[in-house]
Amino acid sequence: MSTSVWLLSLSIKFGMQTSLTDPALWHRIHFGFTITYHYLFPQLTMGLVWFLVYWKWQALRTGEEKYNRAARFWARIFGLNFAVGVVTGIPMEFQFGTNWAAFSKYSGAVIGQTLAMEGMFAFFLESAFIGALIWGEKRLGPRNHFLVAVGVATGSWLSGGFILVTNAFMQHPVGYAVGSNGTLALADVWAFLLNPWALVQYAHNQCAALVTGSFVISAVGAFYALRGKHSEQARVYLNTGTLVGLVASLLVAFPTGDAQAKMVGAHQPAALAAMEGLFQGTRLADVTVIGQPNVSEQRLENPIPLPGLLSFLAYGTFQSYVRGLNEFPKDTWPDNLELLYYAFHLMITLGTIFILIMAWANWKRWRGRLESSTALLWVLMLAFPFPYIANSLGWMTAELGRQPWLVYGLFRTANGYSQVVSAGDTIFTLIGFVGLYFVLGLLFLYLTGREIYNGPHDPDPAPNPQVAPA
Amino acid sequence: MITLWYGILAFMLTTYIVLDGRNFGAGILHWIVARNQNERRQVIAAIGPLWSWHEVWLVGTGGVMVMAFPRLMSASFSGCYLALILILWCLLLRGISIEVGGHMGDPLWQQFWDAIFAFSNVLLAVLFGAALGNIARGVPLAPDGTFYLPFFTNFGIRGNVGLLDWYTVPMALFCVLILTAHGATYLTMKTAGAVHERSAKLARRLWVAVIPAFVVITILTWFVRPELLEGISVRPLAWLTLLICLASVYAIVTGLRHQREHLTLLGSTFLLFGLLMTGAAALFPVMLFSTIDPKLRLTAADCAAPDSSLAIAIAWWIPALILAFSYLYIVQRYYAGKVNVSKDTQGFY
Ligand code: HDD
Ligand code: HEM
Ligand code: HEM
Repeated sequence: MSTSVWLLSLSIKFGMQTSLTDPALWHRIHFGFTITYHYLFPQLTMGLVWFLVYWKWQALRTGEEKYNRAARFWARIFGLNFAVGVVTGIPMEFQFGTNWAAFSKYSGAVIGQTLAMEGMFAFFLESAFIGALIWGEKRLGPRNHFLVAVGVATGSWLSGGFILVTNAFMQHPVGYAVGSNGTLALADVWAFLLNPWALVQYAHNQCAALVTGSFVISAVGAFYALRGKHSEQARVYLNTGTLVGLVASLLVAFPTGDAQAKMVGAHQPAALAAMEGLFQGTRLADVTVIGQPNVSEQRLENPIPLPGLLSFLAYGTFQSYVRGLNEFPKDTWPDNLELLYYAFHLMITLGTIFILIMAWANWKRWRGRLESSTALLWVLMLAFPFPYIANSLGWMTAELGRQPWLVYGLFRTANGYSQVVSAGDTIFTLIGFVGLYFVLGLLFLYLTGREIYNGPHDPDPAPNPQVAPA
Repeated sequence: MITLWYGILAFMLTTYIVLDGRNFGAGILHWIVARNQNERRQVIAAIGPLWSWHEVWLVGTGGVMVMAFPRLMSASFSGCYLALILILWCLLLRGISIEVGGHMGDPLWQQFWDAIFAFSNVLLAVLFGAALGNIARGVPLAPDGTFYLPFFTNFGIRGNVGLLDWYTVPMALFCVLILTAHGATYLTMKTAGAVHERSAKLARRLWVAVIPAFVVITILTWFVRPELLEGISVRPLAWLTLLICLASVYAIVTGLRHQREHLTLLGSTFLLFGLLMTGAAALFPVMLFSTIDPKLRLTAADCAAPDSSLAIAIAWWIPALILAFSYLYIVQRYYAGKVNVSKDTQGFY
């Protein structure tokens, strides 16, 4: 998968330059692996949860049982997904202390604010209601159960917001002051929370999460439609999924993705040049559709350019000057140019493909042929992994583009890791995480696959036979 | 301001241990009090819908720690690297075992996850107990304010110590014992039938066993870290928390004697709370003692974030706490009373 390819290329690249015992490299791989894995789950949590709210609301409004059935079925999948999100999220929080001790000491007074707020405002809300959402329907009654769903949805979107404010500070620090001992202090809490970077990133990222959610829902709908089972439910999933999918795919590209690119151009020009493989600055800078960066020769191999488009995308006119990497000191270049370049380009390619698929599906739906177009259903059924890949690639773009800084322009990644933790210890725990997460992944796929295969319960769910007194 | 945040941090960590302590205790006990699959489902349902709410206190504590005392977070988390990662793995396994254990009816599947559930909870209780022991004993802080703790060295308590030694091991065992008693008390209240009977019997025995163990631990602590007992004698706040402990002991005794299960749980909750808060008050203003040279210790002022950041944080922390408890209140209303396996099971209908 994309993660392992990235790990491999990163370790090969760094392995040749430094030695296997360089702790900085292993701390980075450790964090990159665990967060990339973690984020596979929150994106579905955040993407799915408003569907649940919507179905619960429809059930309340229309009294139609099919919406309740849809909500109940997806709540079970949501629960499994959420559980993995929670257990893989807790290590993330603690890695700031275990693996990035110097960074925590330096910036804890600022980034700790949002990490603590996330716990206090978002996770308490989410975790108080999640149990009630998944297995409290009978105790709560329909109206309260709907409100509980709203609570969980708000909590998960809030937590995404706080974590993105944290990340946005690392990308584009604002609202801080440097204290007498060289560490950061929070100077202006509103500037920090309303970081313009965070607003754009949040909009983009949440739309991207909705893309994941709607592709997954459409895929399950397509699966049932192709097998000719649960046809009433299949219709609900396909209708809602493809509609939201189209809107979200469009929003991901424009205006949010476009705004991201402009922001990177404004605040991280070296990162933008690297994302586009632009070594020499120029007016009328191209976007290359295809091409491979050759870092030692400092040029792109066999490019197919779209003239002027980069100037236009980044700064609004075709004549804008886009600075090339050569104009920046080499020690401020992102340190894995090739991977950054491929990640960014593949994300955009996938985004375009998503729009096409969803446009096709909506056209068929409008013609009333959604459930009878076998080719389309096959495409929808098999497309669901790609939003996950696009999300991971997007984060790779953001995080690799930020290098070599941990806090952009202020604090270098090379200074951020825990000095007392050796490379060996880090490799050991990394292997532990890889092993555990592998098993966790199998378990998740097996249980989720089983739920999907068994399908939504048909009318009036029977009490669980498993727990009936023996 | 620093004192206030010291108190908040202690309060959050204590609340975490008290709340998740129920889960540790129930996890340790569930092989003993529950003899068949149905009874074990009952134990898990008793922890059920709120276990992740309890666990979030740990996440909140971590967030508050890095925000208010970045230097403490940085030194202690990297210094106890392997032990902390082990805690993370146990938390991971425990969470998964709760969530997926009831997901399939197969008895082997359930037994497997029940075993993981028990194992990870035992290990968690041991590790948290050892961590408390390490806070009291101190860590090998070097002049630059960092340390790196191996699992064990020579089991001595001075110089280059390890995580485990002749003081922290008894401390860990004591922690297991008292959390088990706490868990048994909780299960007594939450369950009915055979599980209830067994839990009630165990709770009585365990609380009796806590008394001599507590005496031993106090003597050991006095020997290892006399500063702590001195700290209690000069700090009026510690007298207050000690008073809470005494009242709680009284509540436990009467609760057990008259089978008033809520009272016993209240007592056991506040006993843990009082003991841990007394410890924190006695420790103040030190956050980490050094076993190498007493002068190298880190105090709250050494670790704290700038006052401006702390002042901003208090403005949102208080409303956030009120909100958190109001969700708890709402949810608790629906789950009051004994668990009902057919309603509360994790088996997803
Ligand atoms: C934009 C979304 C997003 C991103 C980038 C991250 N997370 Fe996350 N995280 C969530 C969105 C999320 C979520 C959707 O809110 C989850 C999924 C399941 C859940 O409990 O909340 C979650 C779970 C979750 C939990 C478990 C909370 C609980 O017990 O309920 C923790 C401790 C973290 N995360 C911490 C982190 C940290 C420290 C991250 C980065 C450094 C991080 N997450 C990245
Ligand atoms: C807001 C949340 C996030 C924060 C606070 C954060 C923070 C960090 C930190 C501290 C590092 C290690 C230092 C470094 O190499 O720069 C890092 C690296 C990394 N993160 Fe993030 N990250 C966040 C979100 C994400 C997400 C969601 C992903 C992917 C899904 C991700 C992917 C990566 C990768 C791939 C690296 C390794 C980059 C490299 O070493 O070159 N990050 N991030
Ligand atoms: C189609 C046009 C798209 C454009 C122009 C675009 C633009 C960008 C840019 C410039 C970044 C980097 C921001 C930074 O360096 O911080 C980014 C990040 C990201 N992208 Fe996209 N993107 C597109 C499509 C997608 C798609 C289809 C997805 C997933 C469904 C996606 C998910 C992400 C994520 C998760 C991030 C990292 C988090 C963030 O910065 O918000 N993007 N995007």
